[in-house]
Amino acid sequence: MDFDDTPEEASWRSTVRSIIADNREALGRRGAGRGYDDPAARDRQALLYDNGLVGVTWSKEAGGQGGTPMQQAIVDQELSRAEVPGLVNLIGIGMCGPTVIAHGSESQKERYLKRLLRADDLWCQLFSEPGSGSDLAALRTKAVRTDDGTWRISGQKVWTTLAHVSDYGILLTRTDPDVAKHRGLTMFVVDMKAPGVSVRSLRQMSGGSDFNEVFFDDVEISDDERLGDVGNGWGVALTTLMAERMSLGGGGTDIGVGVGAVADHVAARIADLPDDRAAVTRQQFGRAYAESLAIRYTGYRQLSAISRGEMPGPEASAGKLAGTRVARDLADLSVRLLDDDAVFARDSGGDSTWQDSQASLPGLAIAGGTNEVLRNVIGERVLGLPAEPRADKNVPFRETIAVATGGSESAAKGATV
Amino acid sequence: MNFDLDDQQRDLASAAGDFLASSTSLADVRAALDAAATDIAVRPGRDQLLSSGFATITLPEEVDGGGGTVLDLAVVAEQAGRVLAGPSLITYARAAVLLAGDTDRLRALAAGEMKVAVVDGDGPVLDALGAEQFLALRDGRIVIGGGTVDLPDPIDPTRGLGRVTLGDVEVVDGSGDGADAQARWDRALQIGRVILAAESLGAAARSVEIGVAYAKERQAFGRAIGSYQAVKHALVDAYVAVEELRSLVWWSAWAADNAPDELPMASASAKGVAAMASQLAAETLIQVHGGIGFTWEHDAHLYWRRAKVDRFLLGDDVAAFDEVARLAMAGAAS
Ligand SMILES: Cc1cc2nc3c(=O)[nH]c(=O)nc-3n(C[C@H](O)[C@H](O)[C@H](O)COP(=O)(O)OP(=O)(O)OC[C@H]3O[C@@H](n4cnc5c(N)ncnc54)[C@H](O)[C@@H]3O)c2cc1C
Repeated sequence: MDFDDTPEEASWRSTVRSIIADNREALGRRGAGRGYDDPAARDRQALLYDNGLVGVTWSKEAGGQGGTPMQQAIVDQELSRAEVPGLVNLIGIGMCGPTVIAHGSESQKERYLKRLLRADDLWCQLFSEPGSGSDLAALRTKAVRTDDGTWRISGQKVWTTLAHVSDYGILLTRTDPDVAKHRGLTMFVVDMKAPGVSVRSLRQMSGGSDFNEVFFDDVEISDDERLGDVGNGWGVALTTLMAERMSLGGGGTDIGVGVGAVADHVAARIADLPDDRAAVTRQQFGRAYAESLAIRYTGYRQLSAISRGEMPGPEASAGKLAGTRVARDLADLSVRLLDDDAVFARDSGGDSTWQDSQASLPGLAIAGGTNEVLRNVIGERVLGLPAEPRADKNVPFRETIAVATGGSESAAKGATV
Repeated sequence: MNFDLDDQQRDLASAAGDFLASSTSLADVRAALDAAATDIAVRPGRDQLLSSGFATITLPEEVDGGGGTVLDLAVVAEQAGRVLAGPSLITYARAAVLLAGDTDRLRALAAGEMKVAVVDGDGPVLDALGAEQFLALRDGRIVIGGGTVDLPDPIDPTRGLGRVTLGDVEVVDGSGDGADAQARWDRALQIGRVILAAESLGAAARSVEIGVAYAKERQAFGRAIGSYQAVKHALVDAYVAVEELRSLVWWSAWAADNAPDELPMASASAKGVAAMASQLAAETLIQVHGGIGFTWEHDAHLYWRRAKVDRFLLGDDVAAFDEVARLAMAGAAS
C-alpha cells in the first residue's frame, strides 16, 4: 500500500502542473458562476483540451489521449488544487461521449467526439420522461421508421439538464411496444436545433434553471444517427448509466460543497460562538469531515482497483449515497453559522453560497438514479439480496400500459409498478 | 498510488482468520457472560495470541517480535473483531510503543512473562483481566507497576474490562527528563485507536454478513424479507458504513507506519467513524432478526455489546470528532 506516484505518474503530474502554470491566467479561477452559458468558460475548456487535459482516458481515435484512469485522476487533482473552474459539460463528457464511443459508427465518432471534448458542442441526456424516471424502461417517446428509412420522433422528455443550451442529445425512444419494455427501445443522437424540437425551462427549488422539458413533435432523425441496433436501446442505455455511476461515484467529498471551504467558514466563525454552541458545532463538523475523508479514501480504493484493470461495479454507487448525505450535513451546518442571515438568503448582502448550495443538494439524491434505487442496486447486486418483485416482467409493453391505465393508452402516466 | 492490501497482507488475514475462528467461539463469549465476573476467561487468551505470533507483530525482531507494521496488525485485528476475540491487540500495540527501547521488558512481554494493561486516567481499563503490570501516564512520565484490579459486571465480557488502582510504579520512558513522554503516550493512543477501529471493522462487517444471510432465508408474507426495501436498505446503509470505515482503517494504519503527520487526523477519524458504523451494523443486525434478535440465545447482542462498549474506549466518539474538527480548522487557518 502506498500513496506515492509511480515514476510515470510523477512525470505526468509534473507535465500537468507545468501546463497549468503556463496557462494560469487564461484558465481562470473557480467561483465564476455557471460555466455553460458563459462563452469564456467554453474557451477555457478548449484551451484545456488543446493541451491534452480533457478526455484523458478516451482513445486517440475518439479524440482523447489514450491515457489511464489514474492519469485522469491526476489531472482532476491538479486542476482542483490550482482552483481551475470545472468543465462545462460533465454530462456530455461523462455519459454521452462514452455511449457514442461504445455504440457509435465511425462517422459519428469522427463528427462528434472531439467537438464535444473541446466544448464546441454541448450535449444532454434525454432519458427521463414524466411517466418514467426510476422505471426508465417504461418510457413512451415514440420513434417510427418511415418508408425512406428515416425516423419520426414524438413525445416528451423532462428534467433534461442543459437541454436549453445543448447542440446534441442522446435520446432513448420506444420503437416496438409489442415486446417487453426493455426490448423495444432504440437510442439516437438528436440535433437539438432540428425542426420540431422545443425546449421549455423548468425552475428548480433553488430558483435557478438548469434543467428543462423537451418536446418532440414529429422530429425527423436519419438512420445514420441511430446509436446501436434497433431494439437494443436498453443495452446502449446501460452503457450510459454505467458511465454515470463512475462519474458520480468516486469524487465524493466535493459533491455540492467543498469540505475545505466549510472548514474555513467554521474556523472563521467558531470563536464568536458561546462555548456550548462551539462544542456542538465542532462535533457536527468533525463528524462530517471524518466521513468526507472516508469517502475520499474509498475513492482511492476504487481508483486503485480500476488501475489494476478491474471494472467499477455497483459498489461505486456507495460513494454517492454517503456523499450526498455528508454534503447536506456540511451545507446545513454552514448555513446555521450565518446566524440571522441564515433565514434571509436573498438579502444576506453578498455571499449566498451556503444558502444556494443547500437548495441544490436535494437534487443530488434524485439525479443519476435516486438514492433509493441505488440502494436497491447495491442490495441486490453486491449483497445478493432477493430482487424486487416485478409485475411487468416479460409482458409486452402495450399490455402493461393497458393495466396501469385501465385500458386506455392515452391516459398517460407510465406503467410504474 | 496503490491503496489496497497486498497479497502478503491478504494471506496474513486469512491465516489469522483461520487461527482465530478455531481458537475462540461465540459460545465461549456467551459462557463468559453467564459466568461470575471473576471466572471470565476471554478467548483465545493471552498465551494463545502470543504463541500464534499475532499479538507481537509490531514488536521488533530482536525481542522476538514479528518486526511487522501497524497495517499488518490492523489486518489481523479485523479478523479478531469478526469473532470478538480477546484480549485485545490494542493492548499489545500500545505497549509496544510505550516500552519501545526497553529491550528487557519488551522481551518479557513477547515471552508472556509480563502481562500488561494500559490505564487511561481513572477510566475503565481494557484487558485488566489477567493483567499483572500496568502502564500509565503519571505527572508527565510513562510509568509501570502493579495494581489492584476490580472486575465489575462488564457489558461486553470479551474486553476484560476492569477498574485498576495502581500500586508502586517506576518510570519507564527511558533516560532523561521524559520530555517526549507525552508525545510517545499520544502516539501509542493513536495507534491504539487504529487497532480499535480495525477490530470494530471486523465486528461490523460480520454483523452485516449475518444479517444478510438471515434476510435471504427468513420468509414473511410469502417472500424472503431481504426483498422488502425496508430491510434491504437498512442492510445497504450498514454495508456502506462498513466500507467507508474500512478505508479509514487502512489509511490510518498506513499513516501510523509511513506518515506520522497524518496519524492524528487519520486515527481520530477512524475512531469516530468506527463508533458510528459498528453501532449501526449491530443495531441493524438485531432489527433484521426481529424477535429472535432480541433473545439471549442469538449472537446479535454479543456484537451489540462490543459496539456499545467500544464507543467509549480510548475516548468516546464525541471527543474524537471534536479532535477531527480542531485539526481540520487548524489546517484551514494555516
Ligand atoms: C437535478 C436533476 C438533474 C437531472 N438531469 C437529468 C438529465 O439530464 N437527463 C435525464 O434524462 N434525467 C435527468 N434527471 C431525472 C432523474 O434521473 C430522475 O428524476 C430520477 O431518475 C427519478 O425519476 P422520477 O423523477 O421520475 O421519480 P420517480 O421514479 O417517480 O420516483 C419518485 C420516488 O419514488 C421512489 N422510487 C421509484 N421507484 C422506486 C423503487 N423501485 N424502489 C424504491 N423507491 C422507488 C424514488 O426513489 C423517488 O423517491 C435529473 C433529475 C434531477 C433532480
